[in-house]
Amino acid sequence: MSAARSSFWPGGAAGTVLRIVASRLVQAVLTALVLASLCFAFVQALPGDAALRIAAARSGDDRVTAESVARVREQEGLDRPVLAQYASWIGRLAQGDLGHSLVSRQPVWQELAEHGRFTLGLGALGWLLSYAIALPLGIACGFRPGGWLDRGTNALAVALASMPSFLVGIGLISLFALTLRWLPPAGFRTGAHMVLPALTLALGLAAFSVRIIRNAVVEVRGAFYMTFARIRGRSAGSAFLHHGVRNAAIPVATFAALQFAYVVDGFVVVETLFNYPGLGDLLVKSLLARDVPMIMGAGMVVGLMYAAVNLLADLACIGLDPRRLAGRGA
Amino acid sequence: MTLALTHPPARIRRPLVAPLLLLGGLAALVVIGPLVIPHDPAAQDLVRTLEGPSAQHWLGTDHLGRDIAARLVHGGVRSLGIAVSCVGFATGVGVALGLVAAYAGRVADIAIMRLADLMLAFPGLLLALLISGFLGGGVLPMLIGIKLALWPQFARMARAIAIGELAQPHVEAARLAGFPALTILRRHVLPPVLRQTVTLATLGLGAAIMSISSLGFLGLGLQPPTPEWGAMISELLPYLAEAPVQMAAPCLAIFLAVLGATLLGQALAEPPALPEEM
Repeated sequence: MSAARSSFWPGGAAGTVLRIVASRLVQAVLTALVLASLCFAFVQALPGDAALRIAAARSGDDRVTAESVARVREQEGLDRPVLAQYASWIGRLAQGDLGHSLVSRQPVWQELAEHGRFTLGLGALGWLLSYAIALPLGIACGFRPGGWLDRGTNALAVALASMPSFLVGIGLISLFALTLRWLPPAGFRTGAHMVLPALTLALGLAAFSVRIIRNAVVEVRGAFYMTFARIRGRSAGSAFLHHGVRNAAIPVATFAALQFAYVVDGFVVVETLFNYPGLGDLLVKSLLARDVPMIMGAGMVVGLMYAAVNLLADLACIGLDPRRLAGRGA
Repeated sequence: MTLALTHPPARIRRPLVAPLLLLGGLAALVVIGPLVIPHDPAAQDLVRTLEGPSAQHWLGTDHLGRDIAARLVHGGVRSLGIAVSCVGFATGVGVALGLVAAYAGRVADIAIMRLADLMLAFPGLLLALLISGFLGGGVLPMLIGIKLALWPQFARMARAIAIGELAQPHVEAARLAGFPALTILRRHVLPPVLRQTVTLATLGLGAAIMSISSLGFLGLGLQPPTPEWGAMISELLPYLAEAPVQMAAPCLAIFLAVLGATLLGQALAEPPALPEEM
């Protein structure tokens, strides 16, 4: 296996990076292909005449005529064999043509861009907030494992991890919007509207990352090179800063990508809960309306983002741990 | 390995007690509840909407005057039952495919593992969301979606452990002695694989409960007249300020169920402590 690989791939550092990028690219293409096929199969499997349905969606149920149905059938190529339709469907997608929303008639790309802006802002804020909470807390816990802060944080993290994000959100709404009346419960117009959704996302993320950070810190502090640094006369803090941080960051960076899976669950649910017009809200609404081109567009963007985040995490691990380039690391 | 030999196998370890009690209590409530609570979970009473807890309605009523306690226990049967069935199916299929991949190797291994990779390429809920959405919500699409998302983890784990076990000398000896593949897998490979999967299955149970309630909350799981914890929460959301108790009940139910599964999984994952008298 490895012999065959080394003949095909260029060796050394560039080869490793290339192999990682290639495997993630394959993941992205496969995800897109599965989504596209799933959407196509769904459209084919719907009972009734597809041309009639599209014509009805365009002109209204009572104004459909035989001519308009025939026109749609010809325009959309619905009279051709299934395999030919599938091929042209994939071909159009490969050229980046995602079609128009069946509900709003807007190009899918435009809708995705509009809603994506909101999700990107929410995701970035939630992510930053989660590390603003988890990093200091995780490091503090890692410096005193078994202490009261560590045990309290652990209990809180387990409790938070046992709640779907809408529970966390409802708790925050009850506290900050209904009881204290500090923040608006839902909407998107001002910055204040973003605080509760972002905090909901951040708490869910921090519940997991705080343990990873804590364990990484504990492990690094017990490592031989740390003892050696202390023997050489560095203080505990200085030794951690110079030798610990980078080593502890490796598992944390890997985990950051895994967490993206949680962010997806999180923002779909959080956006619905807070009525926040991002990609997750768009996905759920188009699923409820059976707006196939929109579903596929939103699903594809999320799937491709997942592949991209995985790639970034792989590259970050190499950046932090050059041993992997030599092929000695895992 | 000597640990496992000296440890008395029949005794329930202390960290297991609390989560087992929690899960057992919830299961008992959900099973006995429908027999004890006299109300029909779907019966509306539009005169007594959003009432607080009373002797007649223990946990109050919702916006349509339906009894929250009745809806909670009837919904629990579904939420927990569906979660158990999903995890059971995913464990069965995942372990079976993992063992086949490990034993057969070559094409079967590559095909099964690539399929697992493909499923894992979809983050979190996305696959279940899409399938439920496409098939129009309801129990079956949700079951399919959650099972599809769960099995690859089990297959990966089973394969990894099975490959290690198959390389052991006693398994090689059994192969050389001409025992059939099924016997070898059942006798020598399945037991260690199952020991490890119990933890994963318990944690998967928590994940499944969360997925089911999240789909219900989004309106893509069990459909509204059916009582389900997530759907109940989404129905009560507009009345959060007027009906805090009614809202707290399904929230607490989901939380306790997932917490029980998580704690049980963590307790099972920890190696058994040495007995005191040693």
